[in-house]
Amino acid sequence: MAQLKIVVTATRPLNSLYKLLPFVKPYQWQIYGAFSTFFVARFFEVNTLYLVSYGLDTIKLQLEGESTPYSLAQIALAIVGTVTGRFVFVVHARRAVRRAGMSVSFDLRQKLYDSVQQQGSDFFSRMGVGDIMTRAIQDIALIQRLVAFGSVQMVIIFYAPFFALSYMLSKSVSLTLLITPLFPILFFYGKWISSRMAIASREVQERLSGLSSHVQENLGGIRTVQAMAQEQNEIGRFWETNDAYGRAFYRQARIESLMHAWMPFFASAAQLVIVTYGGYQVMQGEMTVGDLLFFLFAINMLLQPIRMAGTFVTLIQRASVGMGRLSEIFDAEPEIVDAPSGAAPATVRGEFELRHLTFSYPGIQTPALDDINLHIRAGESIGIVGRVGAGKSTLLKQFTRMCDTNRGQLFLDGHDVCDYPLAQLRSQVAQVLQDPFMFGEPLKNNISYDDPERGLDSVWDAADSAALRGTIEEFPAQMDTVVGERGVTLSGGQKQRATLARGLIRNAPVLILDDCFSSVDTETEEHILARLKSMRSDKTTILVSHRVSTLRHCDRILVLEEGRIAELGSHEELLRANGIYAALERIQTQGADPRQGLEDLEVSPA
Amino acid sequence: MSEVRRDHSMFDAELSGAILNLQLFVRILKWLKPYRVTLAVSACLILISSTCVVTMEIVISRVLVDYIVSGVTESNMPDLGMIELTQWIHEQTGLDLVLSAGLLFAVLMILFGLTAHFHRLTLVSSIVRALRDLRQDLFAHMETRPSSFYDKVAVGRIMTRITNDVEALYEMLRGMGSLIGEFVPFLVALTIMFSTSVKMTLILLLLVPIVGITTYFFRRASREVFRLVRNSVSALNQNLQENLSGIQVVQLSERQQRNLDVYTQINKNNRRYEFRSINLSTFYGAFNDSLASIGLGLIIWYGGGSAIQDEMTLGGVILFTRFMNMLFTPVVMLGEQLNVLFRAMASGERIFQALDWDEQIHEPVEPANLPDRIAGKLEFRHVNFEYDRGAPILKDVSFTLEPGKKMAIVGPTGSGKSTMIRLLGRFYDFDRGMIFLDDVDLNDIHSSDLRRRIGVVLQDFHIFSGSVIDNIILGNPGITRERAIEAARTVNADSFIERLPQGYDTPLVERGANLSQGQRQLLAFARVLAADPEILILDEATASIDTETELLIQDGLRKLLEGRTSILIAHRLQTIQEADQVLVLHHGVVREFGTHEELLALKGIYYTLHEFQFQDVSLDDDGNPITEESEES
Repeated sequence: MAQLKIVVTATRPLNSLYKLLPFVKPYQWQIYGAFSTFFVARFFEVNTLYLVSYGLDTIKLQLEGESTPYSLAQIALAIVGTVTGRFVFVVHARRAVRRAGMSVSFDLRQKLYDSVQQQGSDFFSRMGVGDIMTRAIQDIALIQRLVAFGSVQMVIIFYAPFFALSYMLSKSVSLTLLITPLFPILFFYGKWISSRMAIASREVQERLSGLSSHVQENLGGIRTVQAMAQEQNEIGRFWETNDAYGRAFYRQARIESLMHAWMPFFASAAQLVIVTYGGYQVMQGEMTVGDLLFFLFAINMLLQPIRMAGTFVTLIQRASVGMGRLSEIFDAEPEIVDAPSGAAPATVRGEFELRHLTFSYPGIQTPALDDINLHIRAGESIGIVGRVGAGKSTLLKQFTRMCDTNRGQLFLDGHDVCDYPLAQLRSQVAQVLQDPFMFGEPLKNNISYDDPERGLDSVWDAADSAALRGTIEEFPAQMDTVVGERGVTLSGGQKQRATLARGLIRNAPVLILDDCFSSVDTETEEHILARLKSMRSDKTTILVSHRVSTLRHCDRILVLEEGRIAELGSHEELLRANGIYAALERIQTQGADPRQGLEDLEVSPA
Repeated sequence: MSEVRRDHSMFDAELSGAILNLQLFVRILKWLKPYRVTLAVSACLILISSTCVVTMEIVISRVLVDYIVSGVTESNMPDLGMIELTQWIHEQTGLDLVLSAGLLFAVLMILFGLTAHFHRLTLVSSIVRALRDLRQDLFAHMETRPSSFYDKVAVGRIMTRITNDVEALYEMLRGMGSLIGEFVPFLVALTIMFSTSVKMTLILLLLVPIVGITTYFFRRASREVFRLVRNSVSALNQNLQENLSGIQVVQLSERQQRNLDVYTQINKNNRRYEFRSINLSTFYGAFNDSLASIGLGLIIWYGGGSAIQDEMTLGGVILFTRFMNMLFTPVVMLGEQLNVLFRAMASGERIFQALDWDEQIHEPVEPANLPDRIAGKLEFRHVNFEYDRGAPILKDVSFTLEPGKKMAIVGPTGSGKSTMIRLLGRFYDFDRGMIFLDDVDLNDIHSSDLRRRIGVVLQDFHIFSGSVIDNIILGNPGITRERAIEAARTVNADSFIERLPQGYDTPLVERGANLSQGQRQLLAFARVLAADPEILILDEATASIDTETELLIQDGLRKLLEGRTSILIAHRLQTIQEADQVLVLHHGVVREFGTHEELLALKGIYYTLHEFQFQDVSLDDDGNPITEESEES
């Protein structure tokens, strides 16, 4: 958040607004149309006032016994006419701009969704889910408000003074000139107070979110608080947050109230001029009583835009900042370029060759993968082990191009992976991720996520292979059980097995498993591995695990250390070599002296 | 267990809130009461300011138009002494009548501005302070609810009560305040209007029900549309959020196009409902604006007629045109406030339900006086416990743990291990005569005293916002910075803390997200060691941590346990082997008890669990593991 605030103040406020133009363009005629309808509506509005003052003059004349060109009933009817006219046009115009605003936000949402789906891990490491959500909700709403309400405000700012001033001038030039000096004062006051208002309301927002996160954090750890007998301390701490919010709120209310007090004050000052000076003119017969009343009514038409100018400017600035923030998403180039050469075969056997494979994350000096050479035969199973940060996940990402793999370093069936169409590569190289993510949908949709049209039988088969059948059969809704945040909560092991089923159902030539058994108990794991072995005897399988009991099933095991291959060979070979893998095996199976193991592990990195 | 069983689902239920609940207002009064003087001042100020704003119009119509311009001396319209005042100013200052009226107008204007401003200030300040106090009381109340409450109620539900629901009450009280601020001038103006012309006033009042009726129909029609809009907006956000969280799965499954299609459909639905709501609200808004202007037409036509028939003066007609807005604004506002009111009703109900929730741990009337330092002998005597009637969790559990000894509890998932820990920390109520600390019944010890002596490390050790050192000291005045650092050093947390950008003063973000799982665990150890409790209870974390950190944790734990009576829910062989005794719990019953070697030799449940590396597994009644295999056969 702190970074975002800096962006807001640092960039020139209106720089990004031109980026909104292509989104508004499809609706430009709708908006122009609304502007002209607004113009007509304003015309009717000012005429209503004109007719009222005319009516008052007519009354006065009739009281003095003089004849008048129109009867009061006629004038009243004319008023109803102008009011109806204004109503029709105003409804039409407001509806048009608000629909335009909605349509623009519709298009922005579509664009945002499409853009983020094409982004890779580098983008998501820079911009978190919460950040994107804020942009999708708040920034789009700001732009919608600009189109829907900003345009109405703009119309008021330009049309209202135009009509009010021209009618006022026609009635009394001297009185009009007398009250005009007030407006610049009012305008600057409005600008000043609305900027103070913006600061105050930002503080209220910050205090409120501070309050929310305080409560959330505190209640989230209520057991710790109570176990440590910290309740009274915490209640005292909450008072500070609570009181600070209350005070910020009061400050905002004070500025708001001041604004409410001063604006009518200025208006009344204008009224004072009208009452006294206009009163004289009426006495001297230079103005009618109706004219005087017209001035009193019209003064509101003049004040309205000035009162609005401040909020209008803020609206434009905020929408511009919002557009800038959205553009950061729209303008981000997809990291992974999908440029198939056409030479790659349509189906693959699953043979990989890594030639001096080196990979660095942007902005980080030391490479995550450093000169890896490896040949994986089609149908082979490879186990990968290493510490946190050794490069295991990065290596796996290369196979499915979830990272921007360098050209000429990774070959699948003799062709550079970059030559395959992305869709083909990712459908034939199936990867199961470390984080078992479930969508808030029925289990069957989660398992056959890549192709929801699959038959239920194949979904059950996959569930069988992942040892999930028993669990699913316990749910009343079986395969239709909705999981995820708003559904049934699965245990860690159940989720892992469900994501495993999601990978197995694809029966792909290459299967990549990223530490998918960590929450599955050893016996079930053995069971799944045995099933995997028979199912995938002729297919390539690459798996990452911390457990020797898992790794030992693989044809070959690769030990990664700081992005390099430290050891490579079968379980037995590595045990004989008595290196890192052998040390790991000792600690895990024998629970022997941990000191011994630690020293062994620290020898190797060098 | 004599305590009343509670239905916690009540706390989660959607409360109706549709009916006007007067009791709610009465209860809110309790928090407003301390600020009653301010509120009374506020009420006086609104009366003055309303009178000012009405009087200003009288100066224009009665004094300026009728008296000065038209020379009318007799009129139905009350002048509230303004004519005399103008005359007085005229005589005192020598200014002519128009200027005197202008001066009077200016004075009224300033008075109006000041009183209205201070009315709003006093009103807001008393409401804000009252609700701040309410929020504080609510928080303090929630903070002291027992674990049995938090087991059943989602934290999010409580959070909304403390934040959103209190906000809704503010909206309501503030809304009622401004409604009064609009209705007082309405009534004052109405009085003046009636005394000027009863018929004219009645004609204009006929328009008021029209506003009321349209408002009613608009609310009814829009309620459904607004609901659809709200639902479609949350569907949009939900879909986007989920897609973003699972973006890697989406991309690996090549689902982008399909997901975009689904999203487009939701987006289109949302646009359709938004369009409908736009149609409704633009019509309603413009209709309300227009009614006041129609009223102006009526005044010219009817009012003009009666003026000519000498029933009214020109100033009277003008007065009516000026009061038009004052007549309609409060009615329109009332319609807008109804929604706020209903929302606030539901919020108020939720808040008071929470405040009335009196679930708590029974504290002893005369708590036992324990010595400064206790030996730490623990005894369970035939402990039976159940959360829900008829579902016993612990059955006849007995053991004695001598001071300084360590006991590991192992058992399959759901065997009652965590319950034993919770009873020891007195997070739940249980009968007397079951658990003893140094031969004192736990029910005789005040829970805060007990918790000072029992250090608990839970699986989900919570990290608070604040610096590393704050998280170790936790506001305990007895812990110095040196002692905290010493504790961190002892449990091997020192090395990673030193490497943090600001060492011990590094701020930790929400829930310690900038620390690894292992680091958080070490920090939790340091926290407990710094507090130096006589008894230690540990629920060992099961998360997979790389072998190296694992060894640091084991070593830190060993130092933490030194010389302390300890009960450990253990998942690691290492921890279990070092315990003096091992207690095997299954379905709430102590099945095996002894040292690691003795139990292994038994070839019973302990042996099976050992085979499973003490992972959280399920066992059947005979102590055999339940796996998918055995279920099928």
